[in-house]
Amino acid sequence: MKVLYQWLAEFVDLTLTPEELRDRLSAAGIAIEALADTPAGPLLDAELTINRPDCLGHYGFAREVAALERRLLRPIKLAPEPRATAGAPSDLSARVEIDSPELCGRYTARIVKGVKVQPSPPWLRQRLEALGQASINNIVDATNYVMLELGQPLHAFDLARVVDRRIVVRRARAGEKMRTLDGLERVLSPEMCVIADAAHAVAIAGVMGGAESEISSATQDVLLESAWFEPISIRRTSKHLNLRTEASVRFERGADPEMADAASRRCAALLVELAGGEILPGAVDLYPGHREPERLALSRAGFLRVMGADVPDGEIEAILNALGFLPLRLELTAHELTVALTANIGATPEFARHSRAVWACTQPSWRQDVTREVDLIEEVARHFGLDKFPPRLHGSRQPAARLPHAEAEDRLRGRLIGLGYHEIVSIPLVNAEEDALFRPSDVIDPAVITNPLAADASLLRSTGLVSMAHALAWNINRGQRNVRLFEIGRAYSMPDGAPLERRIITMGATGLAREKGVAESAREYEFADLKGDLDQIGQLAGGFTWREIERSSWQHAAQAGRVSLPNAGTRRIDLPDGNRVVRTVGTNVVGEAGKLAQRVADQFKLRQDVFLAEFDLDRFYSDYQQARATRRYQPISRFPAVERDFALVLSDGTTFAAVREAIQSAGIPEIAAIEAVDLYRGKQMPPGKFSLLVRVTFQSQHATLTEAQVNDFSARILEKLAQQLDASLRTS
Amino acid sequence: MTDATDITRQTLAALGVSTAADLAPHFAAVRAEFERDAATITDDATWKSLRDLWMGRKSGVLTRITDNWLKPSPPELKRVVGQELNQLRAHVEQRLDALQQTLAAAAESQTLARDRVDLSLPSVQRPLGSPHLLRQTFAEIERIFLSLGFRVVEGPEIETPYYNFEALNIPEHHPARDTMDTFYLAMPPGAEPRLLRTHTSPVQVHTMESQQPPVRIIVPGKVYRRDNPDATHSYAFHQVEGLAVDTDVTFCEFKGTVEHFVREFLGPTIKTRLRPSYFPFTEPSVEVDASCFACGGSGCRLCKNSGWIELFGAGMVDPAVYGFVNYDPERVSGYAFGLGVDRLSQLKYGIDDVQLFFQNDVRFLRQFS
Repeated sequence: MKVLYQWLAEFVDLTLTPEELRDRLSAAGIAIEALADTPAGPLLDAELTINRPDCLGHYGFAREVAALERRLLRPIKLAPEPRATAGAPSDLSARVEIDSPELCGRYTARIVKGVKVQPSPPWLRQRLEALGQASINNIVDATNYVMLELGQPLHAFDLARVVDRRIVVRRARAGEKMRTLDGLERVLSPEMCVIADAAHAVAIAGVMGGAESEISSATQDVLLESAWFEPISIRRTSKHLNLRTEASVRFERGADPEMADAASRRCAALLVELAGGEILPGAVDLYPGHREPERLALSRAGFLRVMGADVPDGEIEAILNALGFLPLRLELTAHELTVALTANIGATPEFARHSRAVWACTQPSWRQDVTREVDLIEEVARHFGLDKFPPRLHGSRQPAARLPHAEAEDRLRGRLIGLGYHEIVSIPLVNAEEDALFRPSDVIDPAVITNPLAADASLLRSTGLVSMAHALAWNINRGQRNVRLFEIGRAYSMPDGAPLERRIITMGATGLAREKGVAESAREYEFADLKGDLDQIGQLAGGFTWREIERSSWQHAAQAGRVSLPNAGTRRIDLPDGNRVVRTVGTNVVGEAGKLAQRVADQFKLRQDVFLAEFDLDRFYSDYQQARATRRYQPISRFPAVERDFALVLSDGTTFAAVREAIQSAGIPEIAAIEAVDLYRGKQMPPGKFSLLVRVTFQSQHATLTEAQVNDFSARILEKLAQQLDASLRTS
Repeated sequence: MTDATDITRQTLAALGVSTAADLAPHFAAVRAEFERDAATITDDATWKSLRDLWMGRKSGVLTRITDNWLKPSPPELKRVVGQELNQLRAHVEQRLDALQQTLAAAAESQTLARDRVDLSLPSVQRPLGSPHLLRQTFAEIERIFLSLGFRVVEGPEIETPYYNFEALNIPEHHPARDTMDTFYLAMPPGAEPRLLRTHTSPVQVHTMESQQPPVRIIVPGKVYRRDNPDATHSYAFHQVEGLAVDTDVTFCEFKGTVEHFVREFLGPTIKTRLRPSYFPFTEPSVEVDASCFACGGSGCRLCKNSGWIELFGAGMVDPAVYGFVNYDPERVSGYAFGLGVDRLSQLKYGIDDVQLFFQNDVRFLRQFS
């Protein structure tokens, strides 16, 4: 809402400069975004909150200004109504009907006869133009001027174009069409309210007039409409037609029904002043929505309970008076006070002594937003000054608490950062086809957006992998080719119409694992790096177990794996008898990892190897808690450890896991570790064979191992390896 | 080296020495010769030749003096020759030792000069990652409110219209819905409609439904608005909702809490201003402004010359909200606030484009490690 300083001065004595006014109004809740100078004087640009339609006119705005200094507003000056004389045209009232009083609470109509349509005088044009309103002609300008002055939208019809001079306020018929002032043909529906003449709709009520009955240079007689329309209906109509006007904005926020007739009189008088003619007696005023003003009460007890500090009586009364609430101070009796305070647990005797005052108030017709005591409290508080209330801190009655998984998440994040991964945050709205490339097999119903703004953001992702692929592509395309990223986020689906949000972590890596430097050589990131990083994270939750992927989807068929956690597939159930059982629920697989398949990499135009992993965080967090709760100190042996290397010749396809199992099957408790330290495939090996160097560490908690013991262990291990895997020692 | 020591190849008799007085010039000549040789020493090799020339057991100068001068000398001279020889030997040994030390010191400083690390060369670093800036802001906000006894809770991002709007006193066709353009989800026939929450406020309702006051919670999370993305808008952004409800929570406590937060988050010199505003779920409602931390309040580009920066919306919980969760509005009161995590991060770190948070360019991410 743009407001002219000098126009305000017509309704209130202005003692404040425009700058002072800006600061004071902002502090009272009327935010002034900008000050400007115009040919019509200083202009204030106010950003009004939607609950304040009363400030959408200079008069209502001036009331706020007056209240700043606890002054009263000057009344609007209205010319006396013309009295009917003999031979005057007949009363219009028989010709106006409200068919839909639920949509139109008041309708006034006046006729101004014999006007001369011409350009508006400079003073009027200057004001309208300063406020961003184009000047059209003296008749239309007069209605706009009064709207900007009093906040009441008005509409002028060319009476000659109103068939039978008859006005019907009714619902539009299904499919009814009308051309609006902007020249567009609008298709109407019965939820909309229209102003019709004897033949058809001539205006969309409260939104825009029709082209048919528009004021033209030929217009002689004007029918002036000033009405009150139901806000929700106006809002629906305006949204439905995608048509927002100065009128619709005021009606949908709630115009002042009491203003309708006053504005009409003011406008009719202005028409005569600008365009000549005469106001016909016998104005119509149908007011089916009339109601008595609401009674409200503000108690000091209520004020203290909400605000926590007091405001002097005089201030309360002056503020409420200036805003039009007509406060009347009452004292509660001791009994009434007791009743009022029983609800208030925090009341103290001192508090009670001061809190007997109650102000009976009347809701002004322009403040439909103020309906409760708390609304009056706000009115007093904002004009008294929020800066005058002392800040306090409470004494907490409860312990603070982080999220249950906060510690696990901190540890996880810290470890990933230590491993060189940067955390990302992405927007989980993605392209449906891209999501499908990565979609987990158990997601059958993805969560689809019905009203997306772009096809690339039409689905809530079913996995974080799609976001990760984009983040990697973004970096690679900008020359950042060595990248390690992770995201702690959510994945979404809609199984059978019930939304499911899973906590997930997604990892992505590409480029060099180690960059070339003065002291080091470069090395590409490989699957083993990804597996290593995951294993180091997995340690937080008891350790990942790796399995092969049965059918790869987004992964490279040869470089992928699934991970599971020790307890993820179980659920502990507390029985009523106090016992606890552990049930297996489905699988304990929590995630997948792998190199991105070429086919998928091509879709994202990823021209270098990319490694991705994702696992379920809820299960990770629960295993983290479990691992943390069961962790105990393991004694460190005082005796030296002995290492033995076995250069094994194995058949292709033999896994390290099988080797480890064979070694363990020797049943030697002194085995402290089994590691693979070198792998060789090549010409020196017989066909179908490869060589694996395995290092076994022996250590006893009780004694230093002798050479003879270790030789015996080695022999037993070799025997098992030969038996189970046909493994032999490499000779050369 | 030199032939001046030739005299040592002759006997004293052959040199015509018969008295102690005759002897001295010869020893002096030999010592002068040694000094001349010693002055030419530059490295280990020349030092070794010098040592061998003078100290060599078989044919060193000192051995020759012993053999040619001492041994054949008549008894009356022997004592004096012996004394002179011992002095010469001590001198040669001492000089050679000193020379060796000088050479070693020179060699060491040479080695040091060669091996000295260039401190301007890059170090060997294990690559380190970084937490996302938004996550750091979340953590900072959490820390501040945990210190005031708040509890952290979360809620779903996929919500029902009831929790996102109605229960927060925003009925259908309320104009406030215009400011929160909403994404809706496709649902099977007959299922309850679902949307992407436009704020974290629904968790207020969930929390109040599940417990009685006192309530002091903060709710970090992602929220969605159907706005075309640009430098200040994105499909999703982040909030921390706050809610405190008890029998004695007043506006003064709200004000104290907000001022404490602003000072902790932006700095002890930052002032707070509460401006009356409007939200359907709070009454009275306010916008919380902070004095501009760029210019200190004198006016600059960041604060559009107002000296103040709008931080977030807040207010006392509207009693209508209590009606939806069966709290007695006559008995309890409270306040709520909604911090925009992206906006606060932008302000604090001077980030002019909100899209930077979601592009995840490592050149951006690394700056906050």
